[in-house]
Amino acid sequence: MIVMTAGLVLFGLTLLFAIVLGLAKEKLRVEEDPRIAQVAEALPGANCGGCGFAGCADFAKAVVEQRAACDGCPVGGSATAARIAALLGIEVIPTFPYRPVIHCAARTEDKLGVVAYEGVHRCAEAHVIGVTQACTYGCLGFGDCARACTFDALHMVDGKPVVDYEKCTGCGACAKACPRRLIEQIPFKQEQMLVVACANKEPARNVRQVCKVGCVGCKACQRLLAAIFEVKDNLAHINYDNYTGNEDFKPVIEKCPAEVLVRFGKPKPEYARQLAEQEAAARVSG
Amino acid sequence: MDFGALAGVFIGVVLINNFVLARFLGICPFLGVSRKVDMAFGMGCAVTFVMTVSGVVTWLIVHAVLMPVGRWLGNPEALFFLKYVAFIMVIAAMVQLVEMYLKKFFRPLYNAFGVFLPLITTNCAILGACLLIDMNEMYRSSLLKSTVFAFGGGIGFAMAITIMAGIREHVRFSDVPKPLQGAGITLLTACILSLAFMGFAGIGK
Repeated sequence: MIVMTAGLVLFGLTLLFAIVLGLAKEKLRVEEDPRIAQVAEALPGANCGGCGFAGCADFAKAVVEQRAACDGCPVGGSATAARIAALLGIEVIPTFPYRPVIHCAARTEDKLGVVAYEGVHRCAEAHVIGVTQACTYGCLGFGDCARACTFDALHMVDGKPVVDYEKCTGCGACAKACPRRLIEQIPFKQEQMLVVACANKEPARNVRQVCKVGCVGCKACQRLLAAIFEVKDNLAHINYDNYTGNEDFKPVIEKCPAEVLVRFGKPKPEYARQLAEQEAAARVSG
Repeated sequence: MDFGALAGVFIGVVLINNFVLARFLGICPFLGVSRKVDMAFGMGCAVTFVMTVSGVVTWLIVHAVLMPVGRWLGNPEALFFLKYVAFIMVIAAMVQLVEMYLKKFFRPLYNAFGVFLPLITTNCAILGACLLIDMNEMYRSSLLKSTVFAFGGGIGFAMAITIMAGIREHVRFSDVPKPLQGAGITLLTACILSLAFMGFAGIGK
């Protein structure tokens, strides 16, 4: 009897509150932008928070209010971005992944004036001391960048860092770790990007004294492709804003006397082979 | 009408037996939403509203529903085991109402609250107020006193959280020792604030 009554009492109360809330919902209805619901519909609905917002609904709201980009959903990718863009009547501009490149291609045997260094084998340390090698711009080769990489995507091969672009996520940890700021994040507009693999701003004579592969600032590249190349402070620079990937770099690379124009990116079979050989050697000796 | 008694109830629940600082109820929003004064004040107002309405409605449910039905069954207290369920339902419904109201009329405040607004449902200070009203003979006998008690409880919460937010806004620019930064200094602040309110203990009877 008591149980029955208790159930009925609770049912009655619940019904009462349901009616009150239902009426309140009608009275206090808020007109929301219908596009928010549409965008939320187009999203994967995983509520993973990968976009940086509190769930898909929040991201949808942010997109409609133009606080977030329509390609901000990492799960949905470009297909979702295209659908959202269609809903909102905007155009998706393709973006490029930023990946690190190293502005120094000198292997250990290319570097001149390398001294036996007995100090702490860290680039940060060696950079402060500054006498471990003659080139004061180039890679020190102690691998601070490789240690900074949490994705096992950067290895020291022949005294210079080599990026494994299959594993690299473009987080930029290596660029921050380099005390000489040799690692730069550039937009990878194609699989392989041409990079000036030197950072030495000394005149040609001084560069030749410290490195076999340094940029001498001869301006040959600038003469051939002025839209892309610019020689500033005795050092060639590539303007990646104008870089389309369709340029014919072959004559420039052939003309370059220092061989500092290097292609970075995947696939790099020769590096992979080198790495495999080094690992094999390490296994044998270890 | 005994106005003095009502004033006594109000002062008692706001200052002497403050819900946050003396009874240690509702600590979660007290620490969670006390970063900025305006948000803390808004939270205090929302809690005051929910607490007042819940206090009144739960009193009515106990006295106008549970007890008459219990009497009909032969024992006025027969259905008192339904109290908790009914109270929580009332609080949840009231929070929903406040949420809809804020969404309609105070959109920035609604956005600022975020998840803390639905969390008022689980604010123990509100259920605490309803249960304290139900436990104390003085409030149980008078709806007016219960209303003042619930309203005062909300005002006391709003006051405590606003004071706390004021202090925390200043602490943000102070040179806090590193191990105490963040939650540590917040808890210490709450502790000292609570100590200060102990000075009111013993006022009245």
